[in-house]
Amino acid sequence: MKIYINGNAFELPHSAEPSHIDEVISKALPKNQQQQSFALALNGNFVGREDYHHTKVCDNDSIDLLFPIVGG
Amino acid sequence: MSLCIYGQALTSRLLIGSALYPSPEVMKKSIVASGSQVVTLSLKRQNPLARSGDKFWRYIQAIVQQNQGFLLPNTAGCKSAKEAITLAKMSRELFQTDWIKLEVIGDDYNLQPDPVELLIATEQLLADGFKVLPYCTDDLVICQRLYALGCQVIMPWASPIGTGKGLMNPYNLASIRQRLPDATLILDAGIGKPSDACIAMEMGFDGVLLNSAIALADNPVLMAQAFASAMSAGESAYIAGIMQERQTAHASTPTLDRPFWHHPEQSS
Repeated sequence: MKIYINGNAFELPHSAEPSHIDEVISKALPKNQQQQSFALALNGNFVGREDYHHTKVCDNDSIDLLFPIVGG
Repeated sequence: MSLCIYGQALTSRLLIGSALYPSPEVMKKSIVASGSQVVTLSLKRQNPLARSGDKFWRYIQAIVQQNQGFLLPNTAGCKSAKEAITLAKMSRELFQTDWIKLEVIGDDYNLQPDPVELLIATEQLLADGFKVLPYCTDDLVICQRLYALGCQVIMPWASPIGTGKGLMNPYNLASIRQRLPDATLILDAGIGKPSDACIAMEMGFDGVLLNSAIALADNPVLMAQAFASAMSAGESAYIAGIMQERQTAHASTPTLDRPFWHHPEQSS
């Protein structure tokens, strides 16, 4: 299964059951990245942290992880 | 006197950005020197393998807590209501605030807000419980529409972001102040000099939000102090009541009992 995180393609092993966001994060991101403060959108729609474990991710889905940054 | 943002009283009327400073330490000193209690910040993508934003996040949290202040996340870079709404929701979760500086950009050249998308996003975010601080142009009708939707705070631009051109259309801004006397009006973007901020306050604006004018100064910390002083002077002038401009000259010195040299007929 191919997914995109911040525009970068990630190949994940196919499984019988669709993956959920928390599984994708644990497989696609390094540990230190997982522990950082971020907010997430799936295909342009916000997904709250409490929903990661039951929100399914499908082939060619796009995840945006956004991090705090300076701003005016 | 205090600035009120959706019921939250603030002692400083200056809101300050966290971008463009030469170093984090200068940013911190500048924010403290400005006296501002509201600091803007944003959310952006990072390459998953790149340096994290956690260091900045912890740093800015410490500064804001030290000032007993508040974070004001923005939706910079969004070009549609949908993008802005998604980013606002992400900001609320991460920054734990329902304040949002709502930016929906309609033109890449001057970064002018898109009024149509801004109104759509504002309506939906207010309905979702956000306290929206919309960044808009100095268009009176757009400001009226935003106020009618329920925005207690409205933030028209002085001039395009980062230009430092100051108040492009004082007449428009004065009209907005006059027509929306109960709205909290914060002049946002385009401020270049402390005198710009002073003029805004003299006009009766409730506050000023800026970033580049301080961050890009040769000495940002000193410039932050200058802005704080200018804001205070402008606010005092507004409260004191500025004299009416007059078309003709009026002598300041009393003209009664003029001395002898104004009576040439008596000399010989």
